[in-house]
Amino acid sequence: MNIREKFSVGLLSLGFILALLPLSGNRSFNVKPHRLLSEVLDEKTYFTVDQVARFVISEDSTVQVIDLRSPEEFRSMNIPGSVNIRYDELLDNDPGSFLNNENIKYIFYSNGDFDSNYALVIATGLNYNNIYVMKGGLNEWFNTVMNSSFKGERISARENALFETRTRARKMFNEINSLPDSLKLKFIESKRVAAKKLDGGCE
Amino acid sequence: MSLIKNYKVVIAVVLPILILVLFRSFGTNHFKSDAKKWAEPSAMRSNIITIEKTGTLSGEKLFLNLDDGGSGINGITRDELNIPSDSILCKKYLNIIRNHDGPVLLFSTETAVSARIWMILSQMGYKNIYILTNDADNEVFKSKFRPDTLIRPEH
Repeated sequence: MNIREKFSVGLLSLGFILALLPLSGNRSFNVKPHRLLSEVLDEKTYFTVDQVARFVISEDSTVQVIDLRSPEEFRSMNIPGSVNIRYDELLDNDPGSFLNNENIKYIFYSNGDFDSNYALVIATGLNYNNIYVMKGGLNEWFNTVMNSSFKGERISARENALFETRTRARKMFNEINSLPDSLKLKFIESKRVAAKKLDGGCE
Repeated sequence: MSLIKNYKVVIAVVLPILILVLFRSFGTNHFKSDAKKWAEPSAMRSNIITIEKTGTLSGEKLFLNLDDGGSGINGITRDELNIPSDSILCKKYLNIIRNHDGPVLLFSTETAVSARIWMILSQMGYKNIYILTNDADNEVFKSKFRPDTLIRPEH
């Protein structure tokens, strides 16, 4: 058998192997299941609403809060500084375009606990790092931050700091979400431009 | 025999690749291709079920308690299997889920844990898996926000 025949048989065999491969070119999880399980069950993947409130009022540039709800829900109200990426958009598009900065903590939230936790597993499974969720979602944000009040006669320094954080976060939330839609859009757009400039990107 | 001898170089190259491809395509201990397809029930919320609606599922139900002991959902007194979430990928438990002929219902006191385990199992190709919850409206916004029209943003 000459070399040409061997080469042909080799090519045919490789063609057969390619035929066995899945047709879809879509993204798949590329970490080992056991590794993914231990990563997603890590308590460190949760941020409480109080921790997120602290990030919000300090305008922490190492944190990006991501709202997974619909654009209508996002427009009606959102956590200050958050960006809107619908949960199904996360499934449709390559999350690499918005989860690509290794120095930033990405915190997902939705109204409750389902979408944000699905999103966390998807992003971690696709091998993106620094992914977190805001525990309890926007419902918990309202219960804890927006509706917080102090009851009692004495307040400890820790409680006082917590109460102060919640009050400031609530004020910011009210301010931004009370703007008329036109101004809100301008505000969101100016935030995006500022973020782009910070990244050194071009417009 | 002479044919194998003639083709030994080709076989030596192709056979390992073929084995790897077959292992990757039909193996059960890793993730399936196309993450979106396996996550679709989560986007449509068809993977969430309440205790009252479990009757609509056909086949024998397997209740999986993902907590470290105890029952996560009030009202579940029937047979349930307790598999702590961090052990869900043990071979013996995966075999139980794989060989069960009927819906598998995951529950935990932490909704987040059930959601995360559901997504992992789903991406591994397990079908007919549901999240059992007390609160089907978990993703519905439950408060009311009234914008304050007098507020002016600070500069």
